[in-house]
Amino acid sequence: MTQFPKGIRVLPRLLGSTALTTLFGVGLVASYLHAPHDAAAQAVDPADWTPEYISSIAGTIEVDTAAECSAVVPSDYEGKLTYWYIAPNEASPLLDHEIDAQFWEAFGAAYPNIEVEIQSQDYNQMLNKIRTAAVGNAAPMVARLPILWGVEFAAKGQLSEFGPEDVGYSVEEFWPGAMKSVTWRGNTYGVPSNNETMALVWNASIFEEAGLDPERGPDTWEELVQFSNQIKENTGKNGYGLVARTNAGNTPFRFMPQLWAYSAGALDEANDAPTYETIAINSDGGKAALQLSYDMYVRDKSVPVSALTNTQTENRDPFIANQLAMVISHPSEYAAMIDRAARATGQEKEIADRVVANMRYGLIPRGPERRAVVFGGSNLHVFNPDVVDGGEVDMEAAKALVCFWAGPEWSTKISWTNSNPGNLRGFQTSWMKERLEEIKFLDVTTSMLAHGVPFPVIPESPEIMNIIVPEMLQNALTEKMSVAEAADDAAEKIESVISGF
Amino acid sequence: MTTATYQVDTRAPRPVRRPRRRSVWAEMRHRWADYMYVLPALAVMMAVIAYPIYYTVFLSFFKTPPSLAMDDKIFVGFENYGRILTNDSFWSTTWNTLIWTFFSTFFAYVLGFGAALVINREFIGRGIARGILLIPYVISAVAAAYVWRWIYHSDFGVLGALLTQLGLADGPVVLLDSVDRVLTALIVVNVWKEFPFAMIMMLAGLQTVPDQLHRAARVDGASAWQRFWHITVPHLKGVTLITVLLLMVTNLGSAFTIPWIMTGGGPVGASHIWITQIYEIAFGRIRFGIASAYSVILFIAIMSLGVVYVRALTGGDERRRQE
Repeated sequence: MTQFPKGIRVLPRLLGSTALTTLFGVGLVASYLHAPHDAAAQAVDPADWTPEYISSIAGTIEVDTAAECSAVVPSDYEGKLTYWYIAPNEASPLLDHEIDAQFWEAFGAAYPNIEVEIQSQDYNQMLNKIRTAAVGNAAPMVARLPILWGVEFAAKGQLSEFGPEDVGYSVEEFWPGAMKSVTWRGNTYGVPSNNETMALVWNASIFEEAGLDPERGPDTWEELVQFSNQIKENTGKNGYGLVARTNAGNTPFRFMPQLWAYSAGALDEANDAPTYETIAINSDGGKAALQLSYDMYVRDKSVPVSALTNTQTENRDPFIANQLAMVISHPSEYAAMIDRAARATGQEKEIADRVVANMRYGLIPRGPERRAVVFGGSNLHVFNPDVVDGGEVDMEAAKALVCFWAGPEWSTKISWTNSNPGNLRGFQTSWMKERLEEIKFLDVTTSMLAHGVPFPVIPESPEIMNIIVPEMLQNALTEKMSVAEAADDAAEKIESVISGF
Repeated sequence: MTTATYQVDTRAPRPVRRPRRRSVWAEMRHRWADYMYVLPALAVMMAVIAYPIYYTVFLSFFKTPPSLAMDDKIFVGFENYGRILTNDSFWSTTWNTLIWTFFSTFFAYVLGFGAALVINREFIGRGIARGILLIPYVISAVAAAYVWRWIYHSDFGVLGALLTQLGLADGPVVLLDSVDRVLTALIVVNVWKEFPFAMIMMLAGLQTVPDQLHRAARVDGASAWQRFWHITVPHLKGVTLITVLLLMVTNLGSAFTIPWIMTGGGPVGASHIWITQIYEIAFGRIRFGIASAYSVILFIAIMSLGVVYVRALTGGDERRRQE
């Protein structure tokens, strides 16, 4: 079991108030020659953000969270805070519970006079609960929300303007994609707490059986289609775990990377400075990307027939049963498969153990334009006092909590089993090094972060992603419409949605 | 001698004057104490039933895009209703809903009645049979939906494997992923889930049929069918009315879990019914105004169907009483 240092390591502060000197990669993140608040900006270059690089920077800095945060809010500050977040539940690993408890212990030690009233929420209920609470002026002062949720509250004027600088961090300490996700109409409404991306997972033994190189995943989407077909033809097993269910977040998480790779998108979200006013889903690239799914499902029949009603959960069983060769999934998929294998018995256990041993992780394929993946994670938001219970927000207490949570130490530890630190300095900590040693394939999934594209940061995003995009897929895959018609139909729907109705 | 003279009144009899009926208000004033007793219950009902209905109707006249706070909602009159009624997907969903409601209700009732007739008879293992038949009803709808998803699964489903082993199919049996077959597949699950309810209701009804009538009919030489048709069925009219009405209302307005979990309304909306569509509009698209208008339409449909159905079934009795 992983243990964390309980004590606070106080770093020598060099040059008066400035201290940490850290080089965070060639053309990668920031040079921290000063205190964190003065970190210099540098762009993140996906070409440099490789598994090797990630391993090389891990464990190169030491962090003193209490000292950093006390520079923002004095440690003797007295205040009260209400905080909602999705805490570890009964399904979470024991380690998550331990880390959660350690966080509150550390925060309590650093800020003994800040009383935090915590509400632990269930993922499936939190959004509607917090919507209702905000309408009824009973929202919490601070909440940690999944990456897509915040914009709705920002658009409704229910969040306070609040960004990394307010808690002593610079914007450059966070992924540009993460900062996009907390930005609404040019203003910042949150601080990223953790970020994650998916990767391509394949079964090396099925690859071998199909006559493919078991150690090499498909490099492009076209190659993925070809591999999927070859697997089906040579083994009779399904090649790629296509997911096209409507009203399911799993679908856009797997299809949008395909769309972005072909220089398309729902809107222009893949651009560096998106306006969210240009519809790109029915561009030539968009149609080409949709054609790939059509080819796999209709032409080659190399993917599960059940793709129209499947989520990733339904793909896990055929994968562990050695019947499905490739899926796009989270870093935690490996742990989930180990868990499934442990529960199998008899002959099934033998198969499951073999599949786990043959699991490989690789980058999500690229397209003619780029390699892309959905940028996921969570952000910390401070609500507008008007919608908060009691009509007041203790801003200093909120800053202390957000500083503590979004700093390199705790944004790494809290993401231990299933995500990555939102604060880029987290990748340089010894805790990240420990994670990389402990969690298989974490270096691969982490290296996908540099290719991350967040969903459009507009309140209509859930409708576009969870309904319009899957409907487009289903229209094409059931041949209710041609590929071009399905893309044009989706474009019309998106137009209608963003035009206000 | 006294002569008695009798006068015959040849005028038409004077109509009997009925006592004047009090107005509602007068009646309430007269029985004010009774009303005081039920006032707390009425107040609670107003709060938890009447207000949400009022607010749903109120909200149905507003545009509530996800970018606007509820306080900033925009009044659009009947525009939401217009948009719904002119949308093709509304009509395809309505058609699905009618098919779903009619066939689910019909087969759940027929199967439930049949099962009730069987377990109403004495036979060895009747208690066990009753328990087994109740399982679908007591099992969680969410759990049932997941189990049936795996039974129907197009690639690895139990049903497909069984049919293949029996030589009745030579490839995947595609139900949930087929636009043409998905609704039928869901209706089967819904009937499986609901028929025990009809069974319980009809069994209760069967136990109220006087046994002496059956015995007397048997003595008079009535066949089993005649006894069933002329004695049992008329006695079950009331319970049938309630059972069918409840099944219909459930299928129309709250049978959400099975279609939503099993298909999410897909593929291409082929298994969307009103209630799943309303949920999707409200919580998927975050458009509470349109969802409210949709709910009002659903409310009117359920109430109308209920009224028509009850009147149709009770009208005959009323006429017979008047005759």
